[in-house]
Amino acid sequence: MMMNATCKDRERIFEDGTPGEWAALEAHSANCPVCAEELKAWKSLSVAAQEMRDYTDSPSFWPRIERALAEEAVRKTQRAERRSWLSFLPSVPLSWQTAVAGAFVLVLTISAGWIYVHWPNRPEQHDKSLLKSAALENVEHAEAVYVQAIDRLAEETRPQLENPATPLLANYHEKLVVLDSAIADLRAQAGLNPSNAQLRHQLLAVYQEKQQTLEEVLEARKQ
Amino acid sequence: MGTMGLALPWKARIASVPRQRETRVEPSEHYAGGPKPTIVDAITEDAALAAGCRAGNLQTYERLYSIHGARMRNLARNLLGNLGDAEDAVQETFLKVQRSIASFRGQSSFVTWTYRILINTCYDARRSRLRKKEVANDDSGETPRLEPRAPGAHPSLRMALERALATLTKHQRDVFLLYEVEGFRHAEIAGMLEITETASKNTLFQAKKNLRLILEPPRSSAAEAR
Ligand SMILES: [Zn+2]
Repeated sequence: MMMNATCKDRERIFEDGTPGEWAALEAHSANCPVCAEELKAWKSLSVAAQEMRDYTDSPSFWPRIERALAEEAVRKTQRAERRSWLSFLPSVPLSWQTAVAGAFVLVLTISAGWIYVHWPNRPEQHDKSLLKSAALENVEHAEAVYVQAIDRLAEETRPQLENPATPLLANYHEKLVVLDSAIADLRAQAGLNPSNAQLRHQLLAVYQEKQQTLEEVLEARKQ
Repeated sequence: MGTMGLALPWKARIASVPRQRETRVEPSEHYAGGPKPTIVDAITEDAALAAGCRAGNLQTYERLYSIHGARMRNLARNLLGNLGDAEDAVQETFLKVQRSIASFRGQSSFVTWTYRILINTCYDARRSRLRKKEVANDDSGETPRLEPRAPGAHPSLRMALERALATLTKHQRDVFLLYEVEGFRHAEIAGMLEITETASKNTLFQAKKNLRLILEPPRSSAAEAR
């Protein structure tokens, strides 16, 4: 059944009328010039609003947004990597941390041994000033030899790590990626400040950890 | 009787506008019968867009753009007054979506959330533009400066409306643009502006009443009661 509307209902219907009420107002307007004019004027605003709609395509706009999104994604990844490196020690499992700490001690011994070998004329120089500026050259040489050895080891394990057959190998692979990024970071810092013994110790500790990990990969391969 | 209507420069041409718009204009909130399948589709689409963007899928962002890019650009242009600033705001919105999608908890629809970001971004841009103007000692006001655009069917009609819109309150302008220009429903607008549906309806009503006052010459005090 058709409902009725009067002039008094008009504003309320304009604000929140149901379709039935709008139909009733239209019907009322057929015989009420005032409401007819009001209705027309009210609708004309909506019609005018269409003039403010311009949906023409801009072919260069999406590529521009896409580029910005891609750049932001790269920045996001870099930030995440930096964070993961900064939180490297706390985030690695306790067993790794223990291994790193142990390696730290071991590396001191190894370094001392190497320097002893490469520096036979000064066997008595086994004091704790190994990493002072006078010994820096020797440490760097020892480090280079050590790195070469590790690289050879890494070469041997590469096939297993690139296509890890087991979750264990995949874990090793991930761990090595983290260690390599730590090495790169420490090397950069050590490059800026070559005589910083603390940095050297840390670097050697991470190398040692890498060596052990690579050895574990080789072990896992045999099993 | 004929003297009671809007004396707009474009009044004579209005009659030629298609009816199709009128069917949406006022009672669009009320659907006869059960839920429309299109609404279900929209919800599914919305969830898919949110999931894809969350996963960092660039193709999903492209889909978001293909569905909403033109509307976002148009809205930003109407809020900011020129295409350059509008495009910057839309790009910034996409970046903000990318940066903060992890914090989107689905309190509103994803698209509603995206438009909320866009609207806020536009107002931030307006504020910073205003600050720059203040610094430059330029007191040309905060209303968007309107740059010429592709001529529509009734350029004078659009310009008259743009000028009138600039005199409305922020909320009235937002609701008018979202409802009448961009075609959103009050429920959607409520989500974008964080107001109630009733407030959205009321704000639109006030906006249109004000626009009529601005665009209409003073009326004779002819009796209206019947
Ligand atoms: Zn009437």
